[in-house]
Amino acid sequence: MTEIIKRDGSRQPFDAPRISKAVASALHDAQIKDDDFAEYVAKKVASTVAGKALVDIYDIQEQVEDLMMSSEYHNAARKYIEYRQTRDLEREARNALSRDILGIINQGNGDDNDALLNENANKDSKIIPTQRDLLAGVVARHYAKQHILPKHITAAHERGEIHYHDLDYAPFFPMFNCMLIDIEGMMTNGFRMGNAEIETPKSITTAAAITAQIIAQVSSHIYGGTSINEIDRIHAPYVRKTFDRHLAQGLRWTEDESKAREYAMEMTEKDCYDAYQALEYEVNTLHTANGQTPFVTFGFGLGTSWEERLVQKSILKNRIRGLGRNCKTPVFPKLVFAIKKGVNFSADDPNYDIKQLALECASKRMYPDILNYDKLVEITGSFKTPMGCRSFLGVYEENGQLVHDGRNNLGVISLNLPRIAIESKGCEGAFYQLLEERLEVAKEALMTRIQRLDNVRARVAPILYVEGACGVRLQPDDKISDIFKHGRASISLGYIGVHETINALYGAGNIYDSKELRQKGEAIVARLRAAVDQWKEETGYGFSLYSTPSESLCDRFCRLDRKKFGVIDGVTDKGYYTNSFHLDVEKKVNPYDKVDFEQAYPKHASGGFICYGEYPNMTNNLKALENVWDYTYDKIPYYGTNTPNDSCYTCGYEGEFEATSRGFQCPQCKNRDSDKMSVTRRVCGYLGQPNSRPFIRGKQEEVVRRVKHL
Amino acid sequence: MNYLQYYPIDVVNGEGTRCTLFVSGCEHFCPGCHNASTWDADKGLPFDHAMEERIIADLGDQRIHRDGLSLSGGDPFYPGNLSGILKLVTRVKSVYPQKDIWLWTGYRLDMLSSAQQAILPYIDVLIDGRFELAKRDLSLPWRGSSNQRVIRLGGMQASC
Repeated sequence: MTEIIKRDGSRQPFDAPRISKAVASALHDAQIKDDDFAEYVAKKVASTVAGKALVDIYDIQEQVEDLMMSSEYHNAARKYIEYRQTRDLEREARNALSRDILGIINQGNGDDNDALLNENANKDSKIIPTQRDLLAGVVARHYAKQHILPKHITAAHERGEIHYHDLDYAPFFPMFNCMLIDIEGMMTNGFRMGNAEIETPKSITTAAAITAQIIAQVSSHIYGGTSINEIDRIHAPYVRKTFDRHLAQGLRWTEDESKAREYAMEMTEKDCYDAYQALEYEVNTLHTANGQTPFVTFGFGLGTSWEERLVQKSILKNRIRGLGRNCKTPVFPKLVFAIKKGVNFSADDPNYDIKQLALECASKRMYPDILNYDKLVEITGSFKTPMGCRSFLGVYEENGQLVHDGRNNLGVISLNLPRIAIESKGCEGAFYQLLEERLEVAKEALMTRIQRLDNVRARVAPILYVEGACGVRLQPDDKISDIFKHGRASISLGYIGVHETINALYGAGNIYDSKELRQKGEAIVARLRAAVDQWKEETGYGFSLYSTPSESLCDRFCRLDRKKFGVIDGVTDKGYYTNSFHLDVEKKVNPYDKVDFEQAYPKHASGGFICYGEYPNMTNNLKALENVWDYTYDKIPYYGTNTPNDSCYTCGYEGEFEATSRGFQCPQCKNRDSDKMSVTRRVCGYLGQPNSRPFIRGKQEEVVRRVKHL
Repeated sequence: MNYLQYYPIDVVNGEGTRCTLFVSGCEHFCPGCHNASTWDADKGLPFDHAMEERIIADLGDQRIHRDGLSLSGGDPFYPGNLSGILKLVTRVKSVYPQKDIWLWTGYRLDMLSSAQQAILPYIDVLIDGRFELAKRDLSLPWRGSSNQRVIRLGGMQASC
């Protein structure tokens, strides 16, 4: 008797009726009635396998296909082949799903699993709640690809032509990306959280505690970062209340008002410092439903009242001190300090002392990054803190007033620009033609994000839509889609690897060194901008161009392209693609020239950008750090200085550790034990601690290759 | 006078953003010196007029602010370097009285020869003393071992 080897390797006796059934079903689909033909095919195949002990299922299928193709029933043959292919795909997908799940169970022994477990440096995949989140993500991603997204979009994502970000959350769940929380509205009008009714806080201590609670809640309902815009302004009233209370207390004990004021001020300063210490601890000990510390950003710096100044100083002093017994550098909240001429830019400005404190803080803890007020307004139309690490909202008004708080970003689809360049084989015309096609796919993909939110009711996320985080108070059964329209929310096209794209297209040396290549790079990004402007015009949604941070994408796109096209010098050879428009990390230039190079791009990519420079340890040279900050003021809106200041718990060394492909090492005592060091590096717009949670391979490779700009 | 290295923008040798020149020639031969390649006075390139002009131009750069000049080596106070250094610092201070000059030497301030002392009025910050390996400390700003001192001299303003 003949046996069949099935796809999974198991064996089963040959069964001719199964063939006739399959053929009959294909005939039926093609609306043909011919039972004899089905029998004929089955018999014919049976005769060829007769006498053989073992036959592969693929051989049988091939014979069936051949027989059908050579018959008059070409349509039925096509149906049969399609059916087989669909089944193959489904089977393949089921295998991928099992493989991903197995990966979580096995804690990442192989390459693919590492990619899944390390794709977000902020997730500690060793612990159970994170694993549950990863599992939910695996299923959500799988289901979305199979059943929610149009086939050609899934295919474009799988091929690595586009990247549908955060598939582990959306579109399976009707979630959006990142936002500016309307803390002011929530605190002044009160809100409900869980079973508690929260009223307006009466002190900075309570205000800070409630802020932490809101952050935790909001972060569990969205998948990107949460930011608090101008936290100094928002918390100032509660500093005042604290002071008033202490003053009243003081006056109970002394008639001397100035003495009572002195007392009240001292107590308020202490309360305020403690409140932000508690808030920082909260944020760093929180674990959201997304299996991670919340990605949270505090923006501050413009306020000049004593209350606002006190908030600014408290935040910076806490950060300078560090977290816990070892005074470790915290990764969250990200701090973004606004610099404005007339407020804190020069020595005669009222908040110049706080700029000095910000410089000290940046030299020791890498944050704050800075927002240059005037340039930001010039490029994005108004001042606001970035959502998450680098997403910027455009201008939007309600009743003639600019509104920022409560607004959000609906998500990102990124284009693999180097892929297009490789496929264009050095032909610029072909590149732009192919780019048009990919842009069309990206737009369709972005529209699926919008559509997913279309009929969703406010009750899916009360904190966002009912209790005020999004700046609205909808009824639980109200639809949410209106608050995303007319540019209130942004939705972004991302891109990666301008550097590699230029190499692949023109192959004529580094983009930095050629005026012509610089123009070519800028032209590509300007084309992307024109596309999103057009989409905005057509749809009324706030399409924007976003310079993708590419934490894991720098690895993924490059890995897929290397697989498909092999190792290409200057393109796929490094194992990662360069972040958005950034200068190649290996290019040795001074930070001033880097700023000049990169300043061409934010005006095109106004929906998201950040520039950085790589510095040595600057704790002893704040003046030099200030020189660079000042230089950026009228050139780029948003700047981070990467000034590594690691610490070794073995020998006590403070300074920069050496990055190697295998991890980090103390330069003084050569300690490599990741538990006995604190190492902080920039992952993308956020920082990470690569000693305790390894970066994905491509990102680590990029970190190792970064050259100092001074 | 020869020089080994010139950094037109430097932030690790002195406060602020600086131009830093490493001259050749040193007679201290400190064990553990991390610039041992600079001991030989014949190494490097001759410090000529063009190089001096370049430093003057860099210090006055309108685009990238410089706080001053740093002189290291080697040893700027190496006997063969003294006339060259004196000429350079005189020129720098006459063109840019507001910019400061930092100088690293292996000689101690209290042991300087009269020719070396003649340079002091132009120097704002002197880091003095040999590098002593046993007193090496990576955490000290601007110097390698704890016996070395960062001395704020006050420059021309103080001496005039």
